[in-house]
Amino acid sequence: MMEGRGSHVGSYILMIAITILSFLPTIYMVDLSFRNPVSSFSPTLIAGHPTLSNYQTVLANPGFMHYFLNSVIVSLSTVTLTLLFSVLCGFAVSRLRIWGNQLVFYVILAGLMVPLAGLIVPLTVTLKSMGILNNYLGLIGPYTAIGSAFGLLVVKGAMDNFPIELEEAAVLDGASAWRVLAQVIVPTIRPALLVVAIWQFLYAWNEFFLALVVMTNPIMKTVPLMPLQFQGPYMTDPGALFAVLTLISVVPMGVYAALQRWFVGGLMAGSIKG
Amino acid sequence: MHTTPYGSSTRWRGWIYVVPALTLFIMFMLIPIVENILNSLSRQGVTGVTWSNYRAMFHDPIFGVSLKNSIIWLVLTTFIQMLLGFFIAVLLESRIRRGRGMFRTLLFLPMAITPTVIAIVFSNIYAPDYGLLFGVFKSLGLVNHFPALLASRQTVTYALILVNVWQWVGFYVLMYSVGMSNISREVLDAARVDGAVGWQRLRHIIFPLLRSSHMSLMILGAIQALQQFPLIYLMTEGGPANSSQVLGTYIFQTAFLENNMNYASAISIVLLLIALLVAGVQLVLTRGNFAIGGGQ
Repeated sequence: MMEGRGSHVGSYILMIAITILSFLPTIYMVDLSFRNPVSSFSPTLIAGHPTLSNYQTVLANPGFMHYFLNSVIVSLSTVTLTLLFSVLCGFAVSRLRIWGNQLVFYVILAGLMVPLAGLIVPLTVTLKSMGILNNYLGLIGPYTAIGSAFGLLVVKGAMDNFPIELEEAAVLDGASAWRVLAQVIVPTIRPALLVVAIWQFLYAWNEFFLALVVMTNPIMKTVPLMPLQFQGPYMTDPGALFAVLTLISVVPMGVYAALQRWFVGGLMAGSIKG
Repeated sequence: MHTTPYGSSTRWRGWIYVVPALTLFIMFMLIPIVENILNSLSRQGVTGVTWSNYRAMFHDPIFGVSLKNSIIWLVLTTFIQMLLGFFIAVLLESRIRRGRGMFRTLLFLPMAITPTVIAIVFSNIYAPDYGLLFGVFKSLGLVNHFPALLASRQTVTYALILVNVWQWVGFYVLMYSVGMSNISREVLDAARVDGAVGWQRLRHIIFPLLRSSHMSLMILGAIQALQQFPLIYLMTEGGPANSSQVLGTYIFQTAFLENNMNYASAISIVLLLIALLVAGVQLVLTRGNFAIGGGQ
């Protein structure tokens, strides 16, 4: 029943080893982005003699920023709409208890189980007939539809725990359903909303399959399509390609690192059930 | 069923709140599924309903490989990620006192990286002559034994699965950590005891307490595995000789490269049926209680 100091140190060593192993590919990517044309084909983790020239090459490339602009527009719109629609729908299902609320909940929740690959063929046809191929809406619409399933699951879970007494008090004070939602319920379920926002941002920012078939026009392409675009031109210049990859990774990793406190906190706080 | 303070009329009028989410669901999920069914039952030059797209699958070896690989992906990624995630989470939650949050964050970070970036980084790691793995073999003096993992039909799918595991394991650690936050400190401390007693407690006390975490991770893992596309598309394009093809990549190939929309729709239906089966199994196992994060 004794726990020696040795095993304690051993646990830390093991944990640090796992973390380093998990970081090796990222370290390798970043190091490649600082290599010169000769050392970029050297089979080592760290090549030494770092150079900034790859970043100069890449940042001098015009038409680099529009990928990021497109992704910002698509991701932020998706996050906003997903939050709005999930909150409205969750409110009707959880608090208003509309007729058929269980049915609505399970129908939309089923969206969580649908693999996008199984929809991609008719979805492309639908988007084409709606005239929104190569249009932001062609990604925002499906992303929001997919995200609302997860959003509803989380929001309904948070709203189910909301004490009815607070609602009753607000209604007695003359507040409408809309005002109770906006001024009483939404502020209290903010941790759950942040979980949805962060998850949905990462999803929309990183999604590749739909973006590949919807955004065929180069000026409409989003960030996940960049590796494909730059792979050819930088075939003989891996340093520049990996500078692109590193720049791409900075945004979602930075966003997660900055917001992870709320993501983990939100997950810990709420039991999210269907 | 409890009442609401808003009066009974809102039970009808409240439907207005559901309209936006439901509209998007119908437009971008329900209609495509129905269209898939209709498309899969028709064929160019054939009038009326035909089952020929489904019959064609039985004579299509690439479809067979894709189906087999999709199932390997589903089973292996979910199993390995759960196993590693569980043990790392136990290590983290029961033995690490300081820096627990930092480890969780660092392990989760690969989840934030765009899969297409990951695909190219790992293509480079696996590459012969200049890749990182080659460098490891070289420094060990084993150059002659270097396996070109992506070029061999036997290893390609497993090499791809390994990348998926690398990316997702941090998510599993986080979800198990969240699940363990509901378990009392004394129970967790029991897992710290080394040797057979500790192992028994881990197996018979902690593992069963995480039942809802196991369930939700099993479902999320299965669905994520069925979704996998960018790694395969960018690293192997389903090759060599279609040996790493999965249903998702094969749907893409038949629909957008071979322009055979009807056949692609039929394969899509198979994929959707597998997802439905997974969802059904989950529904039975959890008796309708699907949970993400903490709570029992």
